[in-house]
Amino acid sequence: MLENILLFGLLGLSILLAAFGILWAILYPILVLWAFFFSGKKLDAMIIDTAEREAQTFAQLGKDPLSTVDGSYRKEVSAAGVVFAGAVYGPSHWHQLIGFINNIFGGSVDIYQKVISAGRAESMQRLREQAIKEGWDEVINVRIDTAVMSPATVKKGIKAVEVFAYGTGIKYS
Amino acid sequence: MCMNSSDTIMVDIVQGIMVVNTETIPGKVITETYGVVSGSTVRAKNIGRDITQSFKNIMGGELHKYTELLQESRAEAMSRLVSDAMARGANAVVNLRFATSAITPGAAELFAYGTAVKIE
Repeated sequence: MLENILLFGLLGLSILLAAFGILWAILYPILVLWAFFFSGKKLDAMIIDTAEREAQTFAQLGKDPLSTVDGSYRKEVSAAGVVFAGAVYGPSHWHQLIGFINNIFGGSVDIYQKVISAGRAESMQRLREQAIKEGWDEVINVRIDTAVMSPATVKKGIKAVEVFAYGTGIKYS
Repeated sequence: MCMNSSDTIMVDIVQGIMVVNTETIPGKVITETYGVVSGSTVRAKNIGRDITQSFKNIMGGELHKYTELLQESRAEAMSRLVSDAMARGANAVVNLRFATSAITPGAAELFAYGTAVKIE
């Protein structure tokens, strides 16, 4: 009785795994093909969207609210607090393939640079929006940090980078 | 939805204690320091999210669930830092720094540290 249950359990598990394997084998090429056709356009659309929102914020405030200056360069401050924003960005597997080929020949790997700078622009724009939402007049001492989502020793898994911006929001009295 | 939860944590922080990443607080005078305070957290999304995000990773672009995960974790690490600072009797934290380390794919350790001070 127990042997039967064990046997059927193992059989069921292996069938399930096989089904996943077959599904993956069919789905993965389709997704990579999708990435080949659309991921470049998607990235361009993201960059344009970020640039538009940035221009909107600049027009609204008349200046960039962010600065990397540290310390009390203006004394009449009524409140201060930390603001942060981030975005996790990953290159598509098609872009990773281009990057891999580019890496063999050396030189500048433009596609990765494009993805990461898109993420950086986006996270800085989010910091501006977050600061406006929380009611800060200006953000000083802005720092930009980058962190990988999966450790370098792990070959498989998500290839993505987190770009994270933080600073001190200040309110003028 | 998850951004809201991190927002409420931020409101608690702002009401409880002043946290800045500059060396001084503009317009205030630091009278006393209480040493380094820190807060850290390791968080992960459930396996369903991990699978959907890895599918999304094939096609590139932003991984919203991981963005949310890191924002929540950072807010949690900061709220732990703030309660540490409050326990020491400080009313502000200056020179806040963040550090990140990836342990396994999909889980992240967020670490926040700063100096607890008394301001006037």
